Amino acid sequence: MLKRWIGFGVWLLFAACLYFFENNTGTRVVLLCSLLLPFVPVLRKAFFSPDETPEDEPRESLTVRMFTRPEPEETGEIRRYVPGDPVRRIHWKLSAKKDDLLVRETAAGEGVAPGVIPSAAKDLPSGVIPSAAKDLSVNSLQKKRITAVLVAGIIFCVLLLLFLPAAAQSMQGLLNRVFSASEAVNSYRYPRFAVPEGQSVLPAALLLLCAFALLLGIMAVRGSRPMALGIMAACVLFQVYFGLAFPSWVNILLCALFAGWMLRRPVRRKDLAACGVFLLLVTLLTAVFLPGVHADTEAASEKVRDRLTQMAQQITGTVPETPAGETETRHIHTRSLENGDREAETEQEFRLVTVEEEQISMPHWVNWVKMILLLLLSVLLVVLPFTPFLLLNARKKKAWEIRKAFSSEDVSEGIRAIFRQVVLWLEAVCPGSGNHLFREWAGMLPKDMPEGYADRFARCAADFEEAAYSNHPMPEEKRRNALELLKETETALWNISNRKQRFYLKYWMCLRE
Amino acid sequence: MREQLENVLAEVEKVITGKREVIEKILTAMLADGHILLDDVPGVGKTTLALALSRVVGLSFRRVQFTPDVLPSDLTGFSMYNRESGNFVYQPGALNGVNLLLADEINRAASKTQSALLEAMEERQVTVDGQTYDLKSPFLVIATENNVGTAGTQFLPYAQMDRFLVRLSLGYPDYEAQMEMLRNRQGRNPMDEVRCVLTGNELKELQREVRSVTVKDAILDYITRLTMASREHEAVEVGISPRGALFIDRMAKAKAFVEGRDYVTGADIQAVFGDVCAHRVLLKESAGETSVIRVLEDLLKKTENPDRRGLFAGMKTGLKKC
Repeated sequence: MLKRWIGFGVWLLFAACLYFFENNTGTRVVLLCSLLLPFVPVLRKAFFSPDETPEDEPRESLTVRMFTRPEPEETGEIRRYVPGDPVRRIHWKLSAKKDDLLVRETAAGEGVAPGVIPSAAKDLPSGVIPSAAKDLSVNSLQKKRITAVLVAGIIFCVLLLLFLPAAAQSMQGLLNRVFSASEAVNSYRYPRFAVPEGQSVLPAALLLLCAFALLLGIMAVRGSRPMALGIMAACVLFQVYFGLAFPSWVNILLCALFAGWMLRRPVRRKDLAACGVFLLLVTLLTAVFLPGVHADTEAASEKVRDRLTQMAQQITGTVPETPAGETETRHIHTRSLENGDREAETEQEFRLVTVEEEQISMPHWVNWVKMILLLLLSVLLVVLPFTPFLLLNARKKKAWEIRKAFSSEDVSEGIRAIFRQVVLWLEAVCPGSGNHLFREWAGMLPKDMPEGYADRFARCAADFEEAAYSNHPMPEEKRRNALELLKETETALWNISNRKQRFYLKYWMCLRE
Repeated sequence: MREQLENVLAEVEKVITGKREVIEKILTAMLADGHILLDDVPGVGKTTLALALSRVVGLSFRRVQFTPDVLPSDLTGFSMYNRESGNFVYQPGALNGVNLLLADEINRAASKTQSALLEAMEERQVTVDGQTYDLKSPFLVIATENNVGTAGTQFLPYAQMDRFLVRLSLGYPDYEAQMEMLRNRQGRNPMDEVRCVLTGNELKELQREVRSVTVKDAILDYITRLTMASREHEAVEVGISPRGALFIDRMAKAKAFVEGRDYVTGADIQAVFGDVCAHRVLLKESAGETSVIRVLEDLLKKTENPDRRGLFAGMKTGLKKC
């Protein structure tokens, strides 16, 4: 657990640094996306589904599952141990907690030891083995083979690119093109490869595409999350290193692709929904919080940089011919040159311009502020989308604790807890009892409750009073009555409530039918 | 309700018709070992009721008509010099040797006479010339007063008021009840038909049982919050005293007992709150038209009841209107 968090922290730091040093929209989109990626699979878990009892959900349900790969066939369901289940599958931690053997559910062919079937499958005539088990064995075998082939393909592509002269030259040409593209938008200078004129970049591009496709193929087969993250990181690094940003939509698409891969297999509808919500959030957040770099600031610093270069050149004495249509500063400068004491004047001007540049490029502490703000923002971005789910989870846990109190050893304690739940649910749907005693409330129940409900409620309220205010030992039967009332209340309320109230009941009050 | 108490009620109802609720309250107060103040106009049967009760319960009964001339020594007794023996001999007063004292029109007596009752009511003893005499047990005072403001009356001192467990009023009987009453008294006196169904010792036994009724902390907390709120209420000059709080507790116990329970619930507190506290609260002059009853209802409405507090202590229940 700790390791995962540390890993994630490092990743955050890395992202923050990248953002700090390289500052264009595309990069930021990718960074943000990759920041949130590890959380995608968690979204499904965070959705509350009433058929899963919270008891069966291990506490890790809301942890970051970064850098971990689930066992491919595992579906995450937990059930009771049945003789014949492989010992390996026993969830020891949960079992210890529940004092009952619990095993992890497998997607297909549960209880079938994967190592045994392939050979058996060969020996037996087809149709004898249950199809599920067959699928499983074929799947895992095929997966391995396919992966091996794909890896070999990638290695082959890379080798070609490095050592086949034509491909290598084509690659260099491609790189030269990337350099020029970068230089066109940035002020970087790259050394060029010596490549013959008219060298086609097609072979290299094709090979690269091929390798990339093979990589995607591996991911599709194995569903490897670290690999998806790696590819994301590579995309980011490429954009950052060359200062070339893909358009935002391309990045978002990429992000969607990888988010898809990060999902657990087999993919469920809820996963997809969570993924969609996540992408939407990312898009919105980037659109709102990270607009592009200000064009005028860029232009101003560009101008100053030019002038600095010229100053430096003059000091060293290698003044190039002034082209026509120079800026005004240039004129002032030449005038001061004619006035003699050329060195001092120029020095002074140089200093002036340096000061000017510093003013434009903001003081240093701003960078630290930026850094902190960015960290805060990223943490916020990570936390915000999950707050509702965290809250829901807390509610769920609480509801479970309340339920636990129902079967408390002290019967009156149990009755109190049950009646409390009845009142809570009634209040969730109908106007509250205000400051009335509960026995009085029997006359104020909603009209649509089933016949005789008010009487049963009143009886139960009397039991509650006895449980709360007397020292009597309560008979078990009264607890049963209370439980029945609770069940009846649940059903009745569910029937009479509207959509909004049902939502509230189901998700906030954690009502089970 | 217990059979014994049902019998008592039935017997008393032979004489006072249509007033079951008040009679029940009086009986409850008797079980709580408290004194009762009946506040009403003359002629609604206060004295008759007290007499009937004393007969039914088999208590020795004495009636004192309070007038401005009644002196403290009439109640507590006095020491008289006996010439033959040469020492002072104590002459018992009205309070001595009586279980049920009816102090009729108590607010017509002088303050000093009223004060003579203080020790008797609280400590159940009288002290004359340094000599303390215990009163008979059980000792109950049922006092009646005419509405304040009628000719020749004066306010009961606050300390005196505070010693009564409850203040009740009988009110006029309704049509049916009055018809019944008139019919019953044609040529016979229903008082003669009243039987004794409960002895004084049995009453004491019941009182002991009442004292053992369970009161959980949640209920005590409710009483405390109610009384404290009364002291802070904007319209109130003097709130409910700690003695008042004790009396609420006692009366609620008796109420629970009468209803056949051995534990006190929030409903018991609410039921007895008005009767026990109405005469303990003094309103400010600025309160204007507000009546004490209104203030007490307000207190009950605003103080969170123990049912809710016990269940939802420290959590927001999200009360909604829909």
